[in-house]
Amino acid sequence: MSSDHVQLNAAPRTEFGSAKTRRLRKEGLVPGVLYKAGEAAVPFSLNHHELYRALHGSHGKTAVFEISVDGATSVPALLKDWDLNPVRNELLHVDFQAVDLKVVVQVSVPVVITGIPAGVRDGGVLDQPVHEVMIEALPDAIPDSIEVNVDDLEAGGVLHLSDLTAPTGVTLLGDGDAVIASVTAASTVEAAEVGESEPELIGEKPAEE
Amino acid sequence: MLMPKRIKHRKHHRGRREGYSKGHTELHFGQYGLKALEPAWITNRQIEAARIAINRRIRRGGKVWINVFPHLPVTKKPAETRMGSGKGSPETWVAVVKPGKIMFELSGVPEPLAKEAMRLAAMKLPIKCKFVTRDDF
Repeated sequence: MSSDHVQLNAAPRTEFGSAKTRRLRKEGLVPGVLYKAGEAAVPFSLNHHELYRALHGSHGKTAVFEISVDGATSVPALLKDWDLNPVRNELLHVDFQAVDLKVVVQVSVPVVITGIPAGVRDGGVLDQPVHEVMIEALPDAIPDSIEVNVDDLEAGGVLHLSDLTAPTGVTLLGDGDAVIASVTAASTVEAAEVGESEPELIGEKPAEE
Repeated sequence: MLMPKRIKHRKHHRGRREGYSKGHTELHFGQYGLKALEPAWITNRQIEAARIAINRRIRRGGKVWINVFPHLPVTKKPAETRMGSGKGSPETWVAVVKPGKIMFELSGVPEPLAKEAMRLAAMKLPIKCKFVTRDDF
């Protein structure tokens, strides 16, 4: 449970546009924005190193962040979105949404599977089609992740959303029949097709013999 | 070997490979992935070799996703042919891969085994690659 708030000190951002933002990133800063329904968005910049450490802490990305822009009063906010450089994995931009700590919010939380299913020990394959679930909770009650033990899952067994146990103060949202994990029989390695054929040309008339 | 079933034109222009991959830069299906760090044309033979390398290493168990498909036909002129006389005949099929693309995904196996399988797969490819997991971000 992420009860401790993570403090972030941001500087206000007055210059916009791709070139100025690029210059900002070269200085080791990450542009970001803090928004709340019905209020104007506040653009800011954060130190990349500080932000990276804050997001990769033991509290997870679902923690409540206290953001103070230019020394102003801290605003509790949740990490809403982030952009990454696809190769270097550096943060390009972050979105924070200011929240009221007394109002429930809907967020997606990772599902972490623990244990080795009985079906896998017998040669099956564990499949996890869903890696995140939507929950509804107070910002301080949002868990880092929802863990589920799959030791008893037999071959052909399916774990549904309704089988998950939500922590206190958390409501799981979505279709209860949604598949979270399943154990299927292992497929054999199929041989590659040896014979190569020409692809069919769309619109071409078949050759007359 | 992977290749399209139906095509509109037998021969294509080569195109450009500038910038980063626009899509599929994060894991969508599995727990682990192999990310391209350089731009390249990956032939259907290389994709097949990488797939076999992964499957041989993980043996039974685990699920593999291949996120690249060779859509682009590559032509070649016969050996010892003078220049001119039009474009050569289609020779092979390639997938256009840009930096950041997750080419293969894997799940259902322990991380050390997945890393080793992806290392073997990367050796079959003509580019530098990186092993990625869901914890990377």
